[in-house]
Amino acid sequence: MRLDFKPSFSGADRKMHEFSMTTQIVENVLQEAQKHNAKKVTEVHLIIGELTFLGAEQVRFSYNILVEGTIMQGSKLYIKQKNGVVKCGSCDYEGALMYEDNPMYHVKMPTLRCPKCGGVVNVIGGRECTIKSIRLVT
Amino acid sequence: MAHLKEVIKADEGEIFDIELEADLLKANEELATKNRELLRKHSVIAIDVMGSIGSGKTTLIEKLVQALKKKHKIAVFKGDLTTTIDAELIGRHGVEVVPINTGKECHLDANLVRKALQKINLEGVDILFIENVGNLICPADFPLGSEKRVVVVSVTEGPYMVIKHPFIFMEADVTVINKKDLAQAMGVNIEKLMADVREINPNVKVMATNCRSGDGVEEVIDALGL
Repeated sequence: MRLDFKPSFSGADRKMHEFSMTTQIVENVLQEAQKHNAKKVTEVHLIIGELTFLGAEQVRFSYNILVEGTIMQGSKLYIKQKNGVVKCGSCDYEGALMYEDNPMYHVKMPTLRCPKCGGVVNVIGGRECTIKSIRLVT
Repeated sequence: MAHLKEVIKADEGEIFDIELEADLLKANEELATKNRELLRKHSVIAIDVMGSIGSGKTTLIEKLVQALKKKHKIAVFKGDLTTTIDAELIGRHGVEVVPINTGKECHLDANLVRKALQKINLEGVDILFIENVGNLICPADFPLGSEKRVVVVSVTEGPYMVIKHPFIFMEADVTVINKKDLAQAMGVNIEKLMADVREINPNVKVMATNCRSGDGVEEVIDALGL
């Protein structure tokens, strides 16, 4: 069996985290909808970074509970995953985070080591949870 | 009337899209930056102590307070879901402690820290320790505005604690492997745990401690530059 450490796949021990983030998402959308005197919100488009601890499945679960009884009820939630981006401090590498194979445990472990030169990278993308857009009916 | 088509009313049933681009984690980041600016303005060094439940975060802070309180003015924010038990433990050492109860939230966020910062006189503080809620997951998503982040794990959590929670170690400046005195009883290889941390984050300073006896705490102080 191979385990993968990308946060999007390891949801077992994340619970309250998504609920509070999703509460914020719903509150933000409702506020925006109110500004436009919308009768209904039909779509919400989210972007979640690979390097956050937000599991899409849990966000969806919380979302369906939270929108009940609001003008967002029945709306479609689209979640797009965004990959992590790192930049090396020593060379010009900019790209995906490296995952190292650990044959001892049969896991892939993320590392801040540069895949190109072995230097240390900084995370520059993939930590966001963005409400990209919403679709309203007035 | 029959020749009339349906009346079109303005703004009725219109569908439109709104580009929001609202990054919710960014909001926390911005607050964290404000906290950092405020702390720097008052020359306060803030240190966020994260780590697993029962790993020894409070004991480490107690030992750091004991070692540093003669030279420095120290304050502590103590995050917990509920109770002030740990806050009182730290308070015994004669430093100012602000307990932060998150209720059901699994982490501190920059807004809670901002509120706590209003409770203390920053002019009377050199070092601020912020003990996060015991958790190796969510706190990593929420920077608080600290200068340095410490992660505490202990050997009693078993040999795989590090590789099972790699992302929090990416956020750490210093990692403390506590309860080293129990390593043999637990059958845990401390060197391996330290190597795992370094593999995830080559920049991190890693050390083994026994916070109850104080063994290794000096090293933590050095690593934090205090």
